[in-house]
Formats: sequence, structure tokens, C-alpha cells
Amino acid sequence: MRRIALAERPDWRSKAAECGFGFHTIDDAPYWDESAYYAFSLREIEHDIEAPSEELHAMALDLLDGIVGNEQQLRQLAIPEPYWDWIARSWRERQPHLYGRMDFAYDGNGPAKLYELNYDTPTSLYEAAFFQWQWLEDQLARGQLPSGSDQFNSIYESLVEAFGTIARGIARPFHFAAMRDSMEDQGTVAYLRDCALQAGIDCGTLAIEDIGVSTDGRFTDLDDRVIGALFKLYPLEDMFREAFGAYLPRSGLQLIEPPWKALLSNKGILPLLWDAHRGHPNLLAAEFDDGGELPRGWVRKPLHSREGANIAMHLADGRELRTDGPYRDGPCIRQACHSLTSFDGHYPLIGSWIVGDRACGIGIREDNSLITQDSARFVPHAIVEETRGVLIA
Amino acid sequence: MKRSKTAALLLMGTAPLLLSACDRSESAAREGVYTSVETCVTQTNDRNTCQQAFDKAQKDAAATAPRFANREACEASYGKEQCAERNDGASHSFFGPLMTGFFLSQMLRNGSPMSGFNSAPAFRDSNGGWQQPAPGGAGGGVYRSGASSAMVPINTTADRAVTTSRSGFGRFGGSRGFGS
Repeated sequence: MRRIALAERPDWRSKAAECGFGFHTIDDAPYWDESAYYAFSLREIEHDIEAPSEELHAMALDLLDGIVGNEQQLRQLAIPEPYWDWIARSWRERQPHLYGRMDFAYDGNGPAKLYELNYDTPTSLYEAAFFQWQWLEDQLARGQLPSGSDQFNSIYESLVEAFGTIARGIARPFHFAAMRDSMEDQGTVAYLRDCALQAGIDCGTLAIEDIGVSTDGRFTDLDDRVIGALFKLYPLEDMFREAFGAYLPRSGLQLIEPPWKALLSNKGILPLLWDAHRGHPNLLAAEFDDGGELPRGWVRKPLHSREGANIAMHLADGRELRTDGPYRDGPCIRQACHSLTSFDGHYPLIGSWIVGDRACGIGIREDNSLITQDSARFVPHAIVEETRGVLIA
Repeated sequence: MKRSKTAALLLMGTAPLLLSACDRSESAAREGVYTSVETCVTQTNDRNTCQQAFDKAQKDAAATAPRFANREACEASYGKEQCAERNDGASHSFFGPLMTGFFLSQMLRNGSPMSGFNSAPAFRDSNGGWQQPAPGGAGGGVYRSGASSAMVPINTTADRAVTTSRSGFGRFGGSRGFGS
């Protein structure tokens, strides 16, 4: 794994505009950054990222049968009691899920270490599945990458296949919803909807704020039609505590991601995984936080923190790092500190995409600090077979 | 190759690119349950697709229909004379409902059907409701096996309800949104 500087495509901004990539620059700061790329060997991708991703995904799903009937674990995961049965039923019925993203610390040496599962509202999907793919094709055509370069990225094909597979299990009308004013989230749902349409599924869009509730406790769209299924780029745990949350269990609404994802998109799954698979090479030691002093070599993370908010890191050398954010209250976990590696002052975090149950690609975001926040930039990657100079004596 | 062979966009693009991606045009889905190829043709004017959808549904029917140990159990759910003995090819016989129709879903672009379609056998239960097999089950694709083999109701028209309030979700939103 190497970080290689490369000239940008001169026309990438106009291509972004033509293909609906409206958030390549956020608040005047660059988000899409193709001034460099990360080069991997095929072995690094397949052996160190793809295979562990599928294994960890299966391990996480295998915990669910136990969790849905375990009151202590449901409390550890801070799932509100009124939603327990609803979540359990969604898992028993195997209500269809679509996608998730695992974040790994990985630098080409030693096993990738799982930081967390983003299994409810992952973004950076469009840029990974589409714009990164376009970058590779363009740079190959321009002769800027070694010929034969590839990319770990069948995210698009997997999404269309997944939608096609679950199409008949999706109740209609089917809407994609995100916060009205979030350009990034709107871009992500626009892309997912595009893939669903390509799989032959008729579907619309709706702002989260526009969802209505009817006299009989069902959810409606702006035409007063009862929503059959809702893809919501909005955290389940926030829906639980909002005004309409109490209607969810009896509304008949099908959610994607389904309610059981609340058990996985929760940093509490990390200590449960560690307890079940202590010493697994891709897992970091983790435990539920007791609120006491954070020892050296540990990181404290709120159960529902997103975008690197409210993280406290006590490095082995005694340095302490802290980020601010909205997740000040509420339970936390501790995870053994395993720092990101610096590549010329950049700290890449590997986002490994799971569509359905298949590991099908990666997207890399790099920040200038050890904690990856929403200031991170998306940097493309390629699979480049290394041509090592071999001297034959 | 570890990457997608293509990466097309249907609606997101605003102008055609060099590749065939980013093709912007109005599209919608057409879905229906038909009791015969002829009724399908009457609705869609597309004999070829109707015939293919029917053939595929009929081929899938034996494998995806619900299975009952005896005729009585099957008829209790699907009605008199609506069940037949079947064989799974490994000399295990069982009873399942007869296919009474087929489901067809197709994307239309500018009013014309695009290539490809979804079809499935449809069964009518003893209450007159239409059902089709739930997806998945086989595994080997993008989902691991273990999906249910349940039947799901076919409901192509949406219910309406009187909306009493909105904005009950979204209180915690920020301008940067909620993705992670």
C-alpha cells in the first residue's frame, strides 16, 4: 500500500457537475481529492481487506440471534425497551438489508483492524461506487496509471443486484428519504435510488421532515399515500426518540435499513464481538465504558457517535486527543488504541463496503489527524501489481 | 477484475458523458399481475415480454410455491382443486398451489420498455388475495443464504390515509446531514 501523487484530471469538476456530484467541495473545503491515490496489491485487497470484511460481517450477523433475546445486551446497546420486540421480529423475519461500511485501520503491514461498523446510515457511497470508478477509467485511458490497473469496486453492480434480489420483498410505495438540506445525504440517496431504478424498482424521494403520520398511526408521503417501505438515511436511534418514533412498531412501515441494524450500527457491538471472538486478528480489544479514567492506550467512543465526534484518545505515549460534538451524554465503549499510520502526513481510513452480504469495494478517506472527522477527504485507490526488480544471480 | 464492468447513472446525470453512463430520461416502472399472457398483452402491448415473463414464472412456480405435506393442508390455504402434487426431482413429493397468474415489473424510459424485467409466479389464496414468493432463499448471490421462503402479498395500489401531522422526524438534523 502506497500513497502516490498524481495530476488531477483537468476536467474532473465538469464531469462531477454532469454526473450529479454536487458535494465534491463542502463548505469551501475540498472533499473529493484526486491529487493522489492509494495503490494496493491484489493480495492486500483480497487477503487483508475483502476476506476479513466478509468474515467480520458474518460474525456480526451471527451475534444477532443471541442479542435480540438478551435483555442485558439490549440495555448495554441502549436500545429503548418499546422497540425490543419490533427489532427482534425484524430479525426473525430477516427483513432485507441493503448495505453497510466497515472502517479499518490498515497500512499494508499486518492485519486490518476494525474501528467500527457503519451499518445504518453510511455515506461516501456515490463517490466510492461511481466517481472513483470513473477516475480509474479516465486515468487508465489517459495513460496515467500502469496499464492493467484495477480497483476493488464492484459496489455499483452489487447494489443493482441487491435491489433486484430484494425487489419483491420491498413494500410499495417505496421512498428514499434524507434530510432536506443536507447536500451530501441527498446525493447519497439520489444515487441509491438511481441503482434501485436500474433494478426495475419504482421508487420516489421524500425529505425526512415531510414524512407524515395518519389518524390510524401509519406513515404517509406528501400525497397522503401510506408509505410501504422507506429507505431512510437517518439514524434509527434518533427516530426512536423523536415524536413519530412511537408509531414505528405498529405502523406496518418497512424500513431499510431494517430495525435490526440498530444492533450493529452501534459501537456496543464491538465489545460483544470481542467477547465472542477474543484475540481475532482483525478485532481490537473493546469493553463497555464504566465512566472512569481512560487509561493510556485506549480510546473512548460514544455508542452512536458519527463522523469522529466526541472521541477521546489516550495514546500509549501519554498524549491525549479529543474531538467535540453532539454526543456528550450517553453510554460509551472503550477500544484499544491502534493509531492510523501516517502517509506523508495523511491518515487514511479504509471504508470497506458490504452490499447485501458481499464485501465489494473500498473508499478511502484521509484526514490530517488521527481521528477521522467530517473534514476528511475522499482519495481514490487502484490495484497496481508491483513490479519488483528481481535480480537473478 | 475487481471492479464493475460499467457504472451507469439513470437519472443523476445532467449531460451525456463519453461512456453511456449518465443517460438522463424520464423513467417509471410498470407493474402488474396478469392471469394469462393475453391479458398481459392487452395491458402492455408487449407480447414478447409477456410470453417470456409467463414462461419464467411457470418455470419458477414449482420451485418457489409453498409446500404442503398433503393435499388437504394445501387446499385449506389455496382452495379446492387449486393444488397439485409435485416432485422436487429427488423423488420427494409434496403438494403446492397451482400458479394462477404471474407478476411482471418493467422499467419504462420515455414510455418505452427497457430491456430486462422482473417476473414471478403469482398464487391466489382462498381469500382471493394475490401472493408471490418472497425473494432470496437460494443464496450464492449478493446475499448469503437463509432468506425466508415465505409468501408476500402483491399490492400494487397504495392505501391512502388522512395525515394528521408532519415533521415528526428530523429534529436532530444538521446541515451536514447524518450520514457517516
